[in-house]
Amino acid sequence: MTLTLTGVGYRYAGARRPALLDIDLELPDGVVVGLAGASEAGKTTLCLVASGLAPRTVGGQIRGRITLDGEEVDAWPMHRLSQRIGIGFQNPATQLSQVASTVFEEVAFGPMNLAIERDEVVTRTWEALTTLRIDGLAERDPQRLSGGQQQLVAMAGLLAMRPAHLVLDEPTAQLDPAGTRLVADAIDRLARDGASILVAEQKTDLLAAVASSVIVLAEGRVVLQGATAQVLADPRLPELGVPERSAVRLERAASAAGVGRDRLAGALHD
Amino acid sequence: MTEVAAVGLVHVFRTSGVRALDGVDLRLGPGERVALIGQNGSGKTTLVRHLNGLLRPTEGLVTVDGADASGLTVAQLASRVGLVFQDPDRQIFAGSVRAEVEFGPRNLGRSGEGLRRAVVDALAATGLNGEEGTNPYDLGQSRRKLLALASVLAMRTPVLVLDEPTTGQDARGVERVRSVVDAVSAQGRTVIAISHDMRFVAETFERVVVMRAGRIILDGPPSLVFAADSWATLHSSFLEPPLAAVVGERLGLGSTPTDAGLITALGRS
Amino acid sequence: MAGSDHLTADRGVPAFLGRPGPTAFHRLNPLTKATLATVTAVAAVVLGGLLGPIGLVVAAIIVPAGVARVLRRLMRTALLLALPIGVSAFLINLFFFPGGEQVLVRIGPITATAEGLAFALEILVRILAISGAVTLFYLTTRPADLVLDLERRGVSPRIAFVANASVQTVPAMVDRAAQITSAQRARGLDTEGSVWRRLRGVVPIVGPVIMGSIAEVEERTMALEARGFTRPGRRTLLWAPSDTVAEAVTRWGLVLALLAVIVVRLTGIWR
Repeated sequence: MTLTLTGVGYRYAGARRPALLDIDLELPDGVVVGLAGASEAGKTTLCLVASGLAPRTVGGQIRGRITLDGEEVDAWPMHRLSQRIGIGFQNPATQLSQVASTVFEEVAFGPMNLAIERDEVVTRTWEALTTLRIDGLAERDPQRLSGGQQQLVAMAGLLAMRPAHLVLDEPTAQLDPAGTRLVADAIDRLARDGASILVAEQKTDLLAAVASSVIVLAEGRVVLQGATAQVLADPRLPELGVPERSAVRLERAASAAGVGRDRLAGALHD
Repeated sequence: MTEVAAVGLVHVFRTSGVRALDGVDLRLGPGERVALIGQNGSGKTTLVRHLNGLLRPTEGLVTVDGADASGLTVAQLASRVGLVFQDPDRQIFAGSVRAEVEFGPRNLGRSGEGLRRAVVDALAATGLNGEEGTNPYDLGQSRRKLLALASVLAMRTPVLVLDEPTTGQDARGVERVRSVVDAVSAQGRTVIAISHDMRFVAETFERVVVMRAGRIILDGPPSLVFAADSWATLHSSFLEPPLAAVVGERLGLGSTPTDAGLITALGRS
Repeated sequence: MAGSDHLTADRGVPAFLGRPGPTAFHRLNPLTKATLATVTAVAAVVLGGLLGPIGLVVAAIIVPAGVARVLRRLMRTALLLALPIGVSAFLINLFFFPGGEQVLVRIGPITATAEGLAFALEILVRILAISGAVTLFYLTTRPADLVLDLERRGVSPRIAFVANASVQTVPAMVDRAAQITSAQRARGLDTEGSVWRRLRGVVPIVGPVIMGSIAEVEERTMALEARGFTRPGRRTLLWAPSDTVAEAVTRWGLVLALLAVIVVRLTGIWR
């Protein structure tokens, strides 16, 4: 199922300027697309628009077309759209429902809301937990988990809805290195299994590891788009407020100093 | 200039019984730039909250310029040790950037021209000059974090503590924080920062303190803490050395925790 | 999504869901326990004299608490709960009961009378009965279980959610307020000085608490909507507290008994 945005623009309620302009984006099955850009460039807004939360829950005005396999979705209510597109946020704690005393019930929350038959709810929940390798946490209290674990629980909650696409807005931004590693590994595994993910991240090293293509936003517009390796090696990244990949940064510094570029390249691409 | 120290510091949280600090000895000299790293739960936040009196020792003591900090209230310690919290939204309350930045120095008794100067300088240092009248909630998340930093900078404390200044920041924001640390340190003031960004740590600080389970397990310059010999210790805390250090090791160039260090070593070899 | 084609051992409904309580009393349906608590509290007030309410306290609070093995905790908590109101009500009635004539003790200008004592005891027992009944329910029932039971009986899932989540809001706000207070103290806000200074300190704390809570509500709402929360109608429940015919009959019996008592009292048949 392909999610397509054509000429999409968006303005928050009461805002003077649009937050997004002329966005053309295609998210087919089995592809991980990275989303980069400085703060306030529009990454979060794009995630909200792609998932349907904007304008349904957030308000504001939207322009352009959003389609799923060619079918326009602007009339779809949020609970219908949430079964095709799942969205995860930065803050692990606010994604917990707070009414589940175990991880199992937390992950089952979504399918329960959809009034799916009980046995099916249970199957989907175990499936989501196993996919993310947190089935061992099933009995734990979600409020007492680490940030990284909570993010995985939130992702499992989304997967249990069996969405066609996953939109993740800076999932590792508030995590410590251990949590970042947990979530990055999970995204990597999902990617290898053929998941379709749009992931916004400041950590370009992470995008380099999981995304096959990258979009760079600046002031609400797409300014760079293409295969990961190319986009992340583009010399314009620093001025766009996007940190360079560590490897690229080192190579560039070596070039500028006129030293051992080949040796460096050799060590970097082990 | 001020010296801050923790001596045999132990802290047990009364409600949970958790022994968050298990005998910490740390001395911070004037003008030092120190990074505090470690897994969540290692005691970093607990430790820094002792420096301004928000937490009091269960055993051991905290000294400010040799005097026992337990004799001073938090408000009194605030004039010596400024602490910037991780979440700006747990601090920002004013309707304008200027009012927010004025709050700290006002509490310390500053007024008139001295106050105005402090505010202007703090805003300039964090790139928020021109936003004096802006509502803090109209600034993006990244700049609000810089606002929180500015509001403590304006207090001009001899010691500055930053709790995860780069988490959630974009590249420009990180650059700003780095230049603030440099500028503050150049004035002879002490900076201690908790951070998860190893590259930021290696490139900005001259001393790195690694904590685990309430204790300091490593304390030294980046060239020591990120050298290959320390990797096992780092990994046990789920920490990774910066890429420059890894590459330097791979190429047999010794300890090169920063990009510049690696490039220099490459040039020499 | 392609990523779901995994060999998952279908483990069925986990055993840890709906953990049954430790005693038979705990395992009663939440509505039954709620009915018992309400009927006891109301009956204690309505019944005349002293013996009735005392008997009620023993039969409907002390004995079940013993069965549930929470007697000591119940006495401690219920007494603490009743203490402020109980003590003041007792003293007021002891010394200031209108029409009290038989003097027991005179302390300066105020007098304790025998009639006052009798009435004060009656008030005290009733306050203890209400406090005991509520505490017994609270100690033997998880709030979430009660809400689930109500939802099974037809309460809207969204209302049920609000009931459950509200319980969480207070500790979360208290926690938030504490963190904000720390941040402001670190900027020199004096919370240890004079009352006036401390009062002035309220604004820099209340502001972020409210703004932050509002911002958080927005984020939580989005996360909930992304998980189908706003879908109208019922939802699937993984489990709900069990109920039996015997319990349903008991509940109705208790309510009818209460109504009978009220009627009897109102019509003055038995004083």
